[in-house]
Order: sequence, then structure tokens, then C-alpha cells
Amino acid sequence: MKKISLDHIGQYGIAIAFVLICVLLSILHPAFLTLSNLRVILTQVSINALLAFGVTFVIITGGIDLSLGSVLAVAGIAAAIFAHPDSYPLVVPLAAGIGTGVLFGAFNGFVITKSKVPPFIVTLGTMTIARGLALIFSNGRPVSNLSDAFNFIGGGTIWGIPFPIVILVFTFIVCALLLGKTTWGRYMYAVGGNELAARASGINVNKVKMMVYTLCGGLAGIAGVLLTSRITTGQPNAGMGFELDAIAAAIIGGTSTSGGTGNMVGTLLGALLIGVISNGLDLMNVSSYYQLVIKGLIIVGAVVLDSMSKNR
Amino acid sequence: MIRKAISSLFLAATLWSCGGSETATGPVIGVSMLSLQNEFVVNVADEIEKKAGEHGVKLIMVDAERSALKQVEQVESFIAQKVDAIILNPCEVEASSPAVEKAKAAGIPIVNVNSETNASPSAFVGSDDVESGRIAMRYIAEKLDGNGNVLIMHGYMGQAAQIQRDKGAKEILAGNPGLKLLAEQTAQWDRSKAMSLTENWIQSYGSRISAIFAQNDEMGMGAVKALSEAGLKDKVIVVSIDAIPDALQAVNKGNLDATVFQNAVEQGGQSLETALKLINNEPVKPTVLIPFKLVTKDNVAEYLK
Repeated sequence: MKKISLDHIGQYGIAIAFVLICVLLSILHPAFLTLSNLRVILTQVSINALLAFGVTFVIITGGIDLSLGSVLAVAGIAAAIFAHPDSYPLVVPLAAGIGTGVLFGAFNGFVITKSKVPPFIVTLGTMTIARGLALIFSNGRPVSNLSDAFNFIGGGTIWGIPFPIVILVFTFIVCALLLGKTTWGRYMYAVGGNELAARASGINVNKVKMMVYTLCGGLAGIAGVLLTSRITTGQPNAGMGFELDAIAAAIIGGTSTSGGTGNMVGTLLGALLIGVISNGLDLMNVSSYYQLVIKGLIIVGAVVLDSMSKNR
Repeated sequence: MIRKAISSLFLAATLWSCGGSETATGPVIGVSMLSLQNEFVVNVADEIEKKAGEHGVKLIMVDAERSALKQVEQVESFIAQKVDAIILNPCEVEASSPAVEKAKAAGIPIVNVNSETNASPSAFVGSDDVESGRIAMRYIAEKLDGNGNVLIMHGYMGQAAQIQRDKGAKEILAGNPGLKLLAEQTAQWDRSKAMSLTENWIQSYGSRISAIFAQNDEMGMGAVKALSEAGLKDKVIVVSIDAIPDALQAVNKGNLDATVFQNAVEQGGQSLETALKLINNEPVKPTVLIPFKLVTKDNVAEYLK
């Protein structure tokens, strides 16, 4: 329990870094700090944030999920196949997409808990399996011509707020409550902090692990539906490398790769930081070569700042 | 490392099973494609397979997954299997060159399809990508009467298609001093990245944008989506390259202003036929160029199937 409270102090580091970057970008470009740009940033961040929330659960239990990007793609294809106009009611593509994500997550969880093979290896395998299936289901081609109702998820607005932002906020609240306020959340920290101690104190470690991987897969499924709807087409090669951005967001946000620490506010800030940097550099028309270097430096800088504030 | 090991294991298994069932008497052609996750490449590959079936050719088709290193290894194993000819859809200009040199050193004819390598193959079948960039930017120049602000969306930086399409577009820009290049940036051939980039550009340049040239249709479609959502599509011309089905639909609906048709079917078919001629020691042209065509609302019906 002590670890969690320590982590809350550490969280200021990333918050400070985030505010500094925002102030800097507002000074450098007049279009940065506007309501419409804020809308753009939050919409763009939503997909990575959903993946990052999922992987935060997993990393807290001491695991890792490298299959996120591919699961997103296969879930997006599964949804798109059932989302053509005048074919099925909206609930079918949604269930297909999210269900596919849940299934892959459960598969990861099952193999990891039964075989004791490290999550790194298992999810690396799932990464290629899911990518292959996305290509098989789509014949290697984009799945287009999707219904307006389906396209609303990624492109519609409610009272002027883009729907992806609504999903982002809702998912954030659910994930933050689950992790911070429930027994399940406490079990996750316990498993990641010391698996043997958790087992000794009567926690069903396998059940907790099964749950986090399934949850992570389900969130990747939602992200897949969201991405497919946003670009109004299912793309078999979508989400390449997304797992790295999601893991980066979680780690920038203070989730330790050794497990046991981390929280959703930090992960949200981490995802926002990555999104803000990307948006700001595009606004200023910084060459893509420099963008890579700058992004990397800022990510390392944020983590250094974070660990310094923790050690203080 | 692990991923590479697994995939070479798969490759070995595929090659072994192909070699094991050697009963056909027809020629054997090894094909290494850039990426079978790319729709255009898949269309080229499909036509190669179709034509191979017609001519009784046994194909060994492998996916280089955008890795030039893997591509060179694939060609090495083709050579080891003593295939009669190789069709190469190069991943990279420089890094895929050893594949061409090794095949030629082994006396196996090699045909490059769609994109080029520095090493010159027995024959090249494809289209001049520089010309596609010229066609796209020329259309923008005409539509804007030579005056306006242009944005360029690049593919993966450093790939042959990106370099050449950019070269063609910049040639036309240089000839039209009234066209100003506002910004250029990569969206890595990807629709969702292109959409985000366009959203960011809209924040930065807003109504100053007159036209966007996207180096492929996937990115062009992303730009169209972002512009439509911002209510700017009617004010901005978007042109892209490849004429994939989605883009043709969009041209038909008037969302995308134009695309440039690159003939995947001709490229695939001709590459196989050229390889066959080389096997039979018939004369071939060292470069078989398949022309691009501008597709607008006026002629899109010809391309819609």
C-alpha cells in the first residue's frame, strides 16, 4: 500500500512536464492553445489512450502486452465486415469488434497463466497471429463502405464534442475506478508488487492475470472499432507499432515496468503528452526526421523528471 | 530476433514443401514481393499468380514484409533452389540491390516489378513514378490557375516511390512560381496518420490551404475525411496516386478531386511474361514502362468495376 501513495507524489513529475510542454507550445504557435485544437488533440489521443489504459492494468501486474496493435487491427476488420449499410444492426459490428478483442485478450491470459511462458513471448506470438488473421479476414484489402451509424462512433459529435472524446472520458472513469477503488484493483497491485506474497495471502493470481489481459484485449477491441469508424474503413495493416506508443504512455505516466505501481491519471497524462507533442510539431511544420528525435528526447526527459521527483 | 527466426522457419518450411512436391514440368519462378499487406502489391501479386496459372508456371511467392534484408535472403534461397527466373518487387532502391546482383551472378534472369533498384536487373516492368508526381501536381496547378498554397503528404521517407513522386511534384511546383509549398510532412502511407496530420494542418493553416497532394490514395482518403469534417472539402483540392477502389469511389462522389491510375494488372502480367521470355531466351526490352493515367470525375466510370 505504501508504494501506491509514493507513486502519487511521483505523478507530479509528469504533470509538471506536461504543463511545461503545453506552455512552450502555446508560446511557439498561436494555433496551439485554441478550443478547436484541443478537440483535435483529444480526438487523436483517444485511441492510444484506450490502448494505454489496457496495458497499464497489465504492466501493474508485472506483465506486458505486445499484441495490442495487431488485436486492434483484427478487431477493426471484424467490426467492418459486419458494418456495411443495410446489413446488420449497429450492435452486431460493435459486438464483433469488441468481442474479438476480448477473445484475443482471454487467449493471452489463458496461455500465460497455464503455460508460465513469459507474457513478452506469448503476446509477441499473438501479435503475429492477430495480424495474420486481420489479413486473412480482409484478403489483404481495406474493408470499405460502412454504415453511417457505424461511422458516427469515430466521426460524430454530441453537443459539439467529438464522440471519441466521450468514449475516452467514459473509459477513463471506468478504468480509474476499477483500478483505484475496487478490490480487483488492489489485487492487481498486489500481484505485480509481489506475486508470491499475493498468492500466500489467498489472492487467485491466475484469475487476476486472466482478467487484466482480457480487459486489455477488450480495450484494444474498442480502440479498433473507434479507429475503423474514424477512418470509415477497416485496414488490415492498421495499428502497426501502436503497442509501443501505448506502453510509452503508461511508462511516462509513472507505471513501473517491474510491476506494482502506476495509475490511470498518470497514463492519461502520458498519452496526452505524446499527443500534444505530435500535434505541436505538426503545427510548427517540424520535419519528420527531427520529430522522431524530439519525441524521443521529450519522452526520456519526462521519465527522468518523474524519477527525480520520486527520489526526492 | 525471435520474430526473424520464426519467420525464416516459416519460409524454410514453405520452400521445403514447394521443393518436395516437384512434379510439374513447367518452369519455376521465384517471386519476392515488397509487402502482401499493401493493396496495390496484392493486386500485382494476384495477376502474377493468374498469369502463372495460364502459362503452367510453378510459382514460389514470398512476402518480404518491407525488409530488404529478408528480401535478399529470399532471393538467396531461390538461387539455392535453382529456380528458372526470379521476379523481384524491391523493398528498397539500395538495400535490395544485392538480391539483383546475386541472381545475375548465379545466371538466373531477374525481373524487377513496380519499383527499381540501383543494380540493373535483366528487365524492369513498372511505371515511372516521377511521372505520377508530375501528373498529380500538374492537375493541381491547372485547377488553381497556377496560384495557391499547397501541402504535400509524403509516404515512408526514403522509399523509391516517395522520392520519385516527390521529385515529379517538385518539378511542377518549380515551374509554377504562384504555387507556394506551405508545408510537407510524412503520414507513412497510412490513412489514420494522414487524417491526424490533416487535422493538425487545418489548425495551423485553416482556410489558407488551397490543395493537398498525397503521395498515395490511402493518405488522400484520410485528408479528404479530415477536410470534410472541418467543412473545408469544397475549398481544398485533394489529389493522390494509385486509383485503389476506395479512391475511385471517392472521385465518383466528388470527394477526392483526382487520383492517378497505376496499372497493377498490367505490371503483374507483363512481369511474368517478361520472365517467361527470358527463360526461353527470347528478346525482351530492358525497360517495360506502363503509363499512368489521370482519373477525374469525367473518366472515373472507365475504372469503376
